[in-house]
Amino acid sequence: MSRYKDLQKNLFGGTTSNARQFGMIFTLVAIVVLFQILTDGLTLRSDNLIALFQQNSYILILAIGMLMVIVAGHIDLSVGSVAAFTGILVAKAMFEWSLPWPLAILFGLAIGAAIGAWQGFWVAYIGVPAFIVTLAGMLLFRGGNQFIGNANTIPVPEGFRVIGSGFLPEVGPNTGYNNLTLLLGLAACVAVVWREFQARKTRHAMDADPAPMWISVLRMAVMVGVIVFVTLRFASGRVGTSFPVSGIILVALMLAYSFYTRNTAGGRHIYAVGGNSRAAELSGVKLKRVNFFVMMNMSTLAALAGMIFVARSAASGPQDGNGWELDAIAAVFIGGAAVSGGIGTISGSIVGGLVMAVLNNGLQLLGVGTDRVQIIKGLVLLLAVALDVYNKSQGRFSIIGSLTRNFRRDPPGSSPSPAASTADREPATTAPS
Amino acid sequence: MSDVPILLEMRGITKEFPGVKALSDVNLVVRTGEIHAICGENGAGKSTLMKVLSGVYPYGSYQGEIRYQGAETRFSDIRASEQAGIVIIHQELALIPNMSITENIFLGNEPRRRGAIDWKGANRMALDLMARVGLQEDPDTLVKDIGVGKQQLVEIAKAFAKDVKLLILDEPTAALNEADSQHLLDLLRGFRSRGITSIMISHKLNEIEAIADQITILRDGRTVETLDVKADGVDEDRIVRGMVGRELSSRFPDHTPNIGEVFFEVRDWNVRHPISAERQVCKNESFVVRRGEIVGFAGLMGAGRTELAMSVFGRSYGVYESGTIIKDGKEIVLKSVADAIAHGLAYVSEDRKAIGLNLLDDIKASTVAAKLSKISRHGVLDEVAEYKAAEGYRRELRTKAPTVDESVSKLSGGNQQKVVLAKWMFTDPDLLILDEPTRGIDVGAKYEIYAIIQRLADQGKGVVVISSELPELIGLCDRIYTVFEGAITGEIARKDADPETLMKQMTSTKRMQTA
Amino acid sequence: MRNFLAKTVAVGAIAALALTGCGSGRDGDSGSGSGDSAKGFPADSLIGVALPAKTSENWVLAGDLFTNGLKEAGFKSDVQYAGASTTVADQQAQITAMVTKGAKVIVIGATDAAQLSTQVAAAHQAGAKVIAYDRLITNTPDLDYYVAFDNFKVGQLQAQALLEGMKAKKPNGPYNIELFSGSPDDNNAGVFFNGAMDVLKPEIDKGNVVVASKQTEVKQTAIQGWKAEGAQARMDQLLTSTYGNKELDGVLSPNDTLARAIITSIKGAGKPVPVVTGQDSEVESVKSIMAGEQYMTINKDTRNLVKETIAMVQALQKGETPQVNDKESYNNGSKVVETYLLPPVAVTKANAAEAYANDPKLAPLTK
Repeated sequence: MSRYKDLQKNLFGGTTSNARQFGMIFTLVAIVVLFQILTDGLTLRSDNLIALFQQNSYILILAIGMLMVIVAGHIDLSVGSVAAFTGILVAKAMFEWSLPWPLAILFGLAIGAAIGAWQGFWVAYIGVPAFIVTLAGMLLFRGGNQFIGNANTIPVPEGFRVIGSGFLPEVGPNTGYNNLTLLLGLAACVAVVWREFQARKTRHAMDADPAPMWISVLRMAVMVGVIVFVTLRFASGRVGTSFPVSGIILVALMLAYSFYTRNTAGGRHIYAVGGNSRAAELSGVKLKRVNFFVMMNMSTLAALAGMIFVARSAASGPQDGNGWELDAIAAVFIGGAAVSGGIGTISGSIVGGLVMAVLNNGLQLLGVGTDRVQIIKGLVLLLAVALDVYNKSQGRFSIIGSLTRNFRRDPPGSSPSPAASTADREPATTAPS
Repeated sequence: MSDVPILLEMRGITKEFPGVKALSDVNLVVRTGEIHAICGENGAGKSTLMKVLSGVYPYGSYQGEIRYQGAETRFSDIRASEQAGIVIIHQELALIPNMSITENIFLGNEPRRRGAIDWKGANRMALDLMARVGLQEDPDTLVKDIGVGKQQLVEIAKAFAKDVKLLILDEPTAALNEADSQHLLDLLRGFRSRGITSIMISHKLNEIEAIADQITILRDGRTVETLDVKADGVDEDRIVRGMVGRELSSRFPDHTPNIGEVFFEVRDWNVRHPISAERQVCKNESFVVRRGEIVGFAGLMGAGRTELAMSVFGRSYGVYESGTIIKDGKEIVLKSVADAIAHGLAYVSEDRKAIGLNLLDDIKASTVAAKLSKISRHGVLDEVAEYKAAEGYRRELRTKAPTVDESVSKLSGGNQQKVVLAKWMFTDPDLLILDEPTRGIDVGAKYEIYAIIQRLADQGKGVVVISSELPELIGLCDRIYTVFEGAITGEIARKDADPETLMKQMTSTKRMQTA
Repeated sequence: MRNFLAKTVAVGAIAALALTGCGSGRDGDSGSGSGDSAKGFPADSLIGVALPAKTSENWVLAGDLFTNGLKEAGFKSDVQYAGASTTVADQQAQITAMVTKGAKVIVIGATDAAQLSTQVAAAHQAGAKVIAYDRLITNTPDLDYYVAFDNFKVGQLQAQALLEGMKAKKPNGPYNIELFSGSPDDNNAGVFFNGAMDVLKPEIDKGNVVVASKQTEVKQTAIQGWKAEGAQARMDQLLTSTYGNKELDGVLSPNDTLARAIITSIKGAGKPVPVVTGQDSEVESVKSIMAGEQYMTINKDTRNLVKETIAMVQALQKGETPQVNDKESYNNGSKVVETYLLPPVAVTKANAAEAYANDPKLAPLTK
């Protein structure tokens, strides 16, 4: 048992991991294996893996931003509309004003940031709930998309399409693989090993016993194994294909935001605000600034996601972004975030998004219609979160807690401490708020 | 007196929470038609007793017997006790602000005619009930549009709508001004003359002395005594003695203070309530703190101690009006919590769980939360430094937790408080304000917290302790300010401090100075 | 530590070797299919059919016909519809999945004609043939064939019927009419509209026909997503703004779903039902025509279109060149696509029995 726990804790990065995330990774592996068998090996074939990443990179990018929004205790319903709005503006900018595509990308990001600042202003400085602000944004920017695009589909130039459907170029000697993808894989392997040693060193500096050697070895072997496998798969696709550019953007964002949320003061503040905003405020966290930032960041990422989709579709259309917010939110919750905020990780959300993506892809490969796919996805979301809620309530549920909840200010679900119950109730409620 | 029939008798009530005995063999006898006051310090068990009586803690969750109207009763929930005519009016009113007076009076108890609510009839009945409690308002007025005193009356009218026989009022005048309080007390007298029995929990001893027939005093979950106001010639001093009469000797570590110069001063501090701007929560308050000194703030609930502390701490409460803060001889302006922290202030809040800690965090993250800059470079956190800081405090404060990776939600109250203390010690403050630092903590842990507080003072920091427990203030503080209704009413040196003196200062506006 | 390092490297290497062993290696650039069409492909190959969301009866019918027809022809089939809200993304994913599964021909009824070029290119590179069904896929050089009804003709027939119908009710003009067109992201919508305007424009110029609202641009008349509620809302607004005291004689509606929504709106406003055109021969509209409400519809027998498409697939399977009858008209922005056009038929109450004689579902309604 303790070995299992060690393994669980060590494989997925110490304290930030939880049983849910661990479970989701296994669910992901199980689903992959299941579909690999059911589809006769199609699931893990190079072209399918590449397609999987290309099809879902924009949703996963949204999930990164959404995770931060949800951890801070908000929600963003406008991401699909913001993506569509940005997409049409960028497409128009290139089509009608012949803006060079690299500038167009910057232009798109600037639009996203501006929209985010608009929404962040209402949420953080006026105090309108994010649900309302972004519901308004959903209508506003969907309408904006139709208004500007006249509901037309506008094509985008070849160069721009790289971010959505591009691949790494073929360079160097003919190895039978895409050389740049191999290099990326190698770099990832080195990074994994380096990180493991760094982690051991850190543990050592903390006077804590580093994880047993066999765990480190096992973990590295598993990680390196997975990376090598995936690298070879991506590198061995049809000539001209490789690990997709949109996938590289996704991985870069994932690493950057993982680092930001876990290892920086700014990231810590987001968790603090979501966990207990009043306590965060009384610890010197600038609430408004944090809320503003997460909303602005989300819209910027939505703009990027919109551009990637447009690039992949080779055109910006009026249907772009429909329902994306729901996919992103589902990914975040399947990945272990708490509805009430304060809990969740970037990697968890990515895994959650991949679970949905693989499910979608596998069912499509099996020829299951979208109607049934939607039913299955809905059930998976419900079950994943229900299981988590059920686990949390186990051992936490208390009759006294539920009975006295009306009289105390403890957050629901926290166990009533004897002290709080015996003390006359008035003191606990004088805290001005 | 004994010829009057007994309405309620609680016999041998014992109520335990995991690890703590909240009530232990409590007895209470209430006779028909009297006003019965229950007194005791915070934590003495008054509210718990009332929750047992009203069925919030249902039959079976406590030991002992409740006899009501001559028969044993076993309430399964509040509804059951209300049906029997026992109604509690809580300090925080259970009214819905956006509903009218009539709607509130009949909430959950709506008069119906043929299935639909009979609003005409309801309004008529509401007017009648309002007349009985002396409330002159249009019954269609929204509750949020009337003052707190009138809201209290609506609450009582609501009780009458349920045909009340035993009315329990928990701190009914805590939020009321003088005139409203007087009106309410008159009303209670009127009820008495009409044979309605009341139980009143109050900290305002002058009111109790004026109105109560019987007083039952609780201390540490036990019945100390029941006094007959007229027969025993009870006065405030007598009640205070009953409430605080316990030994103070070994509960505090020995400590010889080493007090330096005044380094922190607040002058003419005025703050208004954040929502109802007409309410002034800090009235011209001034105080000083010396290096190495532990300064106490005594006051009743709602006296404005927390409000004073938080408004000083970076204006984190209320609307700042006027006043200056002087530290080390220079005026400082603290517009935000970040400013306050930067100027060496720390505030340990009274409600750890609600506003002191993020219960989702582990000990490590909680310890460094208020000063991340100390363990980061260019915004990037140094995990090792974080660990070392947290681990250092864990050892120093002897926090009982396997590792600093433990979630704070799993710690006991005392250990959570140590984490909060560590969090603020980590900010290297010059002045620590500790709001109810030992609330809900068992005796052993209290002793440790006291030792930590004294150690901080010995390091030359100034410490302000806000507490509702007078013995704690007397045992720990070098000097005590008393606060009453948003104003500082007294300043008492340790040698002159005794519970009776403090209690008097805490309940009246007469200013007395002995320091 | 050294021991540990050695172990790590060893494990990593073994893993790498093991996985390389099972890696499939590169497909190479021979391109298993493109350019090899002359050889055909096995008769039991997979044929993918990607259709839009199930928003009209015709797509549901087409799906069933493809499933059965391809099965009868000996193929394996994978017929998919896009989801209700995430249409484009769904269809993109479905087409990619079909390519992955090795479909030899992919028939696409596009939800957004301009947003599939990446997937069509992928299919082409994997050696699959792509047939655009009913809706032309634009901006891609990789589309092989297009099968559709002559949609310009559809518009012309609608306009002619509209004029005839109005004349029958009221011998002399000028006639007040309103124009509706389909979803702007559907390439066909513009074609229908242009076909209709080809007939109506001279009449409008003569003053014989008047668009009372003056809304004659495609932009103004378009109904996003072919949504019935969109048409109903627009008609409601037109009635309020323009026909307070004017007679509405006719409405050009591009299809049956919209036609019925328009009629609902007019009836709701308590006005007499004018001449309303339609298309697709949906059951409810045929009933409406027989009841004398909707004036006409177009019979584009989905059976014929599917039959023709399957014939094309069969020709490709045998390595033959499929039959086409238009090699000039349909330029998708990147190339002129070889097209097989089927003629549409205008149906009014007068010729309904004859037109639907072979349709098991519609024939009983006309009696």
